[in-house]
Amino acid sequence: MAEVEETLKRIQSQKGVQGIVIANSEGIPIKSTLDNSSTVQYAALIHQLLLKARSTVRDIDPQNDLTFLRVRSKKNEIMIAPDKDYFLIVIQNPSD
Amino acid sequence: LDKSSVPTPRHHVRVYDEEENDVTPQPLHQGECGAGPIKNNRFFLDEISAGLSVDQMTTTGSSFSLPFSRSILSSSKFSSQSSIDSVNLETEEGFSKRDLPIHIPDAQSKKSSPVKEEVTEENLDELLDVFLSETDTISLLDLPSCFVSSEAEDAQIVTERNKKYAELCKNKAGNEKYMERSVQTLDPPVKHKLVESDSVNTAEAGTFVSTWEMFDSLCGLEQDASVRTESEQEQVGTETLLSSSRAEHSTSLGSSSGTESVTSSMKDLESLELLSVSETDLQLLLSSDTFHHSLLAMERSLVANCLQRKLAAFRLLPVLPDPYVAPPSETPEEEQAQKSPEPEVSGPALVHLWSFTCELTQGRRVNSMVWNKKNPDLLAVGYGASESSSSPGLVCCWSLKNITWPERVVSCDSPVTALDFSVKNPSQLAVGMEDGTVMICNVQTHHSSSSSSHFLHSRQCPNKHVEPVLQLKWTLQEISLREDTDEALVSVATDGRVCKWLSPTVDSHMMRLKRVKSAKRSSSSENKGETKPENILSALTPGMCFHFHPKGPVINVWWSPLCSDVFLSCSSDWTVQLWKEERFTPALSFSSAHRAVLDAQWSPKAATVFGVVNEDRLEIWDLQHSILDPLLVWAAPPSVSLTSLLFTSHTDCALVGDNSGQVSVYLLSEVYSAQGTQAEALEEIIQASLSR
Repeated sequence: MAEVEETLKRIQSQKGVQGIVIANSEGIPIKSTLDNSSTVQYAALIHQLLLKARSTVRDIDPQNDLTFLRVRSKKNEIMIAPDKDYFLIVIQNPSD
Repeated sequence: LDKSSVPTPRHHVRVYDEEENDVTPQPLHQGECGAGPIKNNRFFLDEISAGLSVDQMTTTGSSFSLPFSRSILSSSKFSSQSSIDSVNLETEEGFSKRDLPIHIPDAQSKKSSPVKEEVTEENLDELLDVFLSETDTISLLDLPSCFVSSEAEDAQIVTERNKKYAELCKNKAGNEKYMERSVQTLDPPVKHKLVESDSVNTAEAGTFVSTWEMFDSLCGLEQDASVRTESEQEQVGTETLLSSSRAEHSTSLGSSSGTESVTSSMKDLESLELLSVSETDLQLLLSSDTFHHSLLAMERSLVANCLQRKLAAFRLLPVLPDPYVAPPSETPEEEQAQKSPEPEVSGPALVHLWSFTCELTQGRRVNSMVWNKKNPDLLAVGYGASESSSSPGLVCCWSLKNITWPERVVSCDSPVTALDFSVKNPSQLAVGMEDGTVMICNVQTHHSSSSSSHFLHSRQCPNKHVEPVLQLKWTLQEISLREDTDEALVSVATDGRVCKWLSPTVDSHMMRLKRVKSAKRSSSSENKGETKPENILSALTPGMCFHFHPKGPVINVWWSPLCSDVFLSCSSDWTVQLWKEERFTPALSFSSAHRAVLDAQWSPKAATVFGVVNEDRLEIWDLQHSILDPLLVWAAPPSVSLTSLLFTSHTDCALVGDNSGQVSVYLLSEVYSAQGTQAEALEEIIQASLSR
């Protein structure tokens, strides 16, 4: 457990990381380093995106499954690690 | 009138229609039920007794020409219009002009339906006075005939019409032109009737079925299908007990996917109520293995994002500029780093790419570095002691995918002096330490706490080293009885012994190779006094003894990987010597700085290139270029002294470790010429130098 906390701290201190959000499988955030409104917004929107992405991948081949999702935008990059019970979002701006 | 309408105050009226069905209207309010019809009844009778002398001829046009019995049943609304009832009798006369022969029998049949009055228990004992009187004759319908004189003008027309009518009547029965059809002329008054019933609770459940959900339900989740259906049924049951407002919530979330729709909507309602996840759930989630894996993947992606260019340069890939980063915002160092892989730099250069360092390794001396044999991106680094931390020795396995934190950290009881990865079992790492212990650990399993069950120590071994282990090597040996090669671990320590650890899984077997008398070669074991540490390092065969430096202790010896009988030795007498096999004097000697040479290594890519680490410089020599001066010199930062060197086999990089715990990666750009120099070139140089 301490190791997980340590890893999260290391991730937070990586270059350009703007925030980390951990949410459960329904899109309710359970841990976050952003402010409340942003957290809720990210969690809800990313949850929708995840459902769509996962269903896309699995519709093409049901034996396949989504393991990682990266959304690169002009200002930053949103990286999403999904799972059955949770999903982890990290927002990074690497040119910071 | 068979209605003995006695003005008894309370009677329950029962109404039956012609089929004897009870069509008694159920009153909503019990108080007034009895009064209404009775009142109405009375009113009607009064009117009738008054005769038909009402002048109001309102042609309401509505079908208030009710038969007598039905008027009794009317509601209070009708009772207000009962004054019009008498009028309706008049209007019936008006209707007589029309041909409505059909309805007369209906009216008459209705008239005869009886009305029964119920006698309650209370009224049974009452004495009733019954008055009987005869009412006037009531004429319901009177159709007087119309007489036309036969001498009138239109008598002919009337006669014709009469004849036609007679014929019509005759032909009517059975004629196809005519059809019996009933027409309702009555418009019964509307009565509001309210019904109370239990509200039906509804709950909506939706699911979105896709191909993969069907796949899941067929294949993957069969084991817990039984468990899940039970839980789902429970949850469906509880859902139906919810109020309608919550049912709305579940419908709005029903569009979410899969078999989890029922369960998820239930959970969502709970979370809407609670708005928090319990602490234990959070802990459970965060400590799960998949979460570790996600964190790992995330960290690597983050690091890779920052280091995209450096890694590309490392792997000799073309470095692409980021299209969204505006050029003026780049710092000058970035621009330089960007430009250096391009051939704008004149001549060979060392480019610093990154450093493997973290807070664990701060202040520790890098003693040994080795690449993994199977995974060329995995680097194991052995560290010595640092002043601040607790564990005296440390082994870190770094991966190129994450340069900010090592993948594995193993803390040891004494400073680590030698490392090697096994060839046959690529996840086994042999660690030699300053107190003479040789340890084998398995880096494949990720253990958060260093459980010594993974390690094999040489501590219990009676013949173990007691002096610092200087070098470790896994060597492949051929066993005479078997055909395959077995791997043995050879270690050399300062106490002068070379130990071979056979069957590394069981570290009890040990064979001793004497340094002095080797079966293969006669050695000159002179210089005992001066050469304290000696290294036997063989990339090819074990058991060879070597000649030693004349002046100072030999620190390291390296065979050339491309040229099979040439090797380098470096020592603290400031020189690096190039030896050829079967010669007792060095073929070439290199010295450029007045410092002890700590490490020297051949470059695996070119036969004539090797690197040398002094205390404060890294030198890259290219024998083709010059045998007197190094090709490249890179000076270390003032407070740092470099301690070890390692080349990469698949790319043009060199790793340099220093005494502050950093392992820096340098790209050797332009060092290697276009065609790889091979052994022949080296041989030529050596011959040339020897012949002088």
